[in-house]
Amino acid sequence: MIELKGVTRRFGDAVAVDNIDLTIETGEVCVLVGSSGCGKSTTLRMINRLLPRTSGEILVDGEDINKADPEALRLNMGYAIQSTGLFPHWTVARNIGVVPDLLKWPTHKRDERVSELLTLLGLDPATDAIKYPHQLSGGQAQRVGVARALAGDPNILLMDEPFGALDAITRENLQQEMLRIQRQLSKTTVFVTHDIDEALKLATRIAVMDQGRIIQHDTPEAILRRPASAFVENLIGKGDRGLKLLALRTVGDVMERYPRPRQSDPLTEGLKETDSLRAALSVMVWQNSDQLPVLSEAGDAVGTVKREQLLQGGV
Amino acid sequence: MPVSTQPPNRVIPALALSALACVWLLDFGLVQPNRIVSGTGYGLYAATGWLGAVVVSSLLAVAVGLALRPTHKRFWVLALLLITALMALPLLLEMLAQRKLPEDSAYARIGIGAGFWCLAFFLALMLLETLGQLKASRRLQLSTVLLIVAGWWFCATREGLSSLSLIREYANRADQFTQALTTHLSLSLGAVAISAVLAFGLALAMVRRERLRRPLLGLVSFMQTIPSLALFGLLIAPLGALSAAYPFLQTLGIRGIGWAPAMLALIAYSLLPMVRNTYVALMEVPEPVVDAGRGMGMNERQIFFKLKLPLALPVIIEGVRITTIQAIGLTAVAALIGAGGFGTFIFQGLGQAAMDLVLLGALPTVFLALAADAILSALKFQGASR
Repeated sequence: MIELKGVTRRFGDAVAVDNIDLTIETGEVCVLVGSSGCGKSTTLRMINRLLPRTSGEILVDGEDINKADPEALRLNMGYAIQSTGLFPHWTVARNIGVVPDLLKWPTHKRDERVSELLTLLGLDPATDAIKYPHQLSGGQAQRVGVARALAGDPNILLMDEPFGALDAITRENLQQEMLRIQRQLSKTTVFVTHDIDEALKLATRIAVMDQGRIIQHDTPEAILRRPASAFVENLIGKGDRGLKLLALRTVGDVMERYPRPRQSDPLTEGLKETDSLRAALSVMVWQNSDQLPVLSEAGDAVGTVKREQLLQGGV
Repeated sequence: MPVSTQPPNRVIPALALSALACVWLLDFGLVQPNRIVSGTGYGLYAATGWLGAVVVSSLLAVAVGLALRPTHKRFWVLALLLITALMALPLLLEMLAQRKLPEDSAYARIGIGAGFWCLAFFLALMLLETLGQLKASRRLQLSTVLLIVAGWWFCATREGLSSLSLIREYANRADQFTQALTTHLSLSLGAVAISAVLAFGLALAMVRRERLRRPLLGLVSFMQTIPSLALFGLLIAPLGALSAAYPFLQTLGIRGIGWAPAMLALIAYSLLPMVRNTYVALMEVPEPVVDAGRGMGMNERQIFFKLKLPLALPVIIEGVRITTIQAIGLTAVAALIGAGGFGTFIFQGLGQAAMDLVLLGALPTVFLALAADAILSALKFQGASR
């Protein structure tokens, strides 16, 4: 658990972060969202003491972070940044192994960890491990960045716009990976982004920041349904708020399940349980159908979903 | 149908034709009655007879022909041809010695003419172009150079070339030559080593304290602007006074003239490229890399030794390379204040109007500089590729 109590950070006369209170529960993903200069990165960098706070208290699991040695504190906090910050003179494997090395893990344990993480992030331990950062695509480099942040098996993960510089498709893929990894590992995560869609997709709770203050701190659904101010309303966009709500739920949440899987007609197009309601609605509108089967990975029909169920799901 | 048809190379024919013109128009070699009197010049035909003239001319003609042929193998053939030609080049001088040297004169010697220098120069350029076209590896380039040097070494030890004035000057001063080599190397490399340590400290100070940057860079740039002769001269008075006041300094060999002022001046000159490169290299380590390292939990020491220094190393080595070449050249001038080294031969030769003695000092200086360049470039590339 991370607690910020009355935390302020000034740069000269300018106030970057203004007396904020924020509690991040163990295992949740807290996304700090806001436009550039709102203080979200500053807040993140105060948590691992890359920036000292001007006043206030930051506690990790009840302990003031200023009491610990800063290097020891950071070794227990994975850190991934937008420009990846991969070390250009080291191979991918050595980059990922940096925290295990700093923690003085035995070599075989480190090597196992490195190949485990490469696999977890969809990279090839045989071919990708020996590459240098300049030989990677943007998406691959960012995967390595995330793997490196996870390598020391930290309790806390700090991510500063890690997918900000990627193209839309690569970003989408990496967000999916993040969700999958988070389901597996449940790290306490602080994630900074300026992209509200990314925030809605990844967050357990979102903290909307503006001019150094937290405007609203709530679940994605609550933020969409009850924006606290005109600023938040503006940020989430009035036009497709309903669709964004639909995007928060998956087909699995509203479908009618069959008692046992059935053989499905190979010609009909079906939905997957993990598809968002938004995507499901889009398929229904496109096919002009009221009902679609839900298929398992194997292609069997495990249930069905109706258009009314879908629409009610958003309410 | 040939798939790998390649455009004819235009550089090599141009070089070969220039070489052909030079070798026929300029004096190829000289025969001097003694070391001071400028001798009589001989053209290619007069110097080497039909055999030499035909071999040289046809070699250049074949090079032109090969370069224009549209196959890739041509460059390998050319490389082989040019390396052999360069290795055997001194044999042409031997032919001159056999044909024109008066047998009864003990002091008579042969000198190298402009035509020979031009031929060597153009052949070297052609070889460079060929190796470039072949995208030769560093190892191949190095072995090529070693092969040619070995060829010359072999030719120089033959009896036939003992009358070459350069070799005669060397034979007269073999002991001095070895001593000059040691002095030259220890002066220039010592200065580079000391200034590298100093420059590293200064650059670190500048990285730590931004406000030191302008005065320190100003100081080292200022030292670079003083003409080298003036700096050598300026140091004589204070060092002379120092050693007069403290006699124990004299026992160390620190006097107004000699190695002490030379060393000080060389260090002063070496500081600018070294400080500037080290500072720039350390400052240009990308901020996200340092940020990530710190965020991962590295302490400042680890950030410096694991990230900043290895990333800055190629540029720092580049600074050392520039400095070393510069110091080797400047050390030659330091002979004027009695520091020794190859400059001694140059200034003696100038004083006696014996050009071959000048060459005996100048050629090894050039060779040392080229060798330093090659070694440090190789180091830099190795550092950068990792």
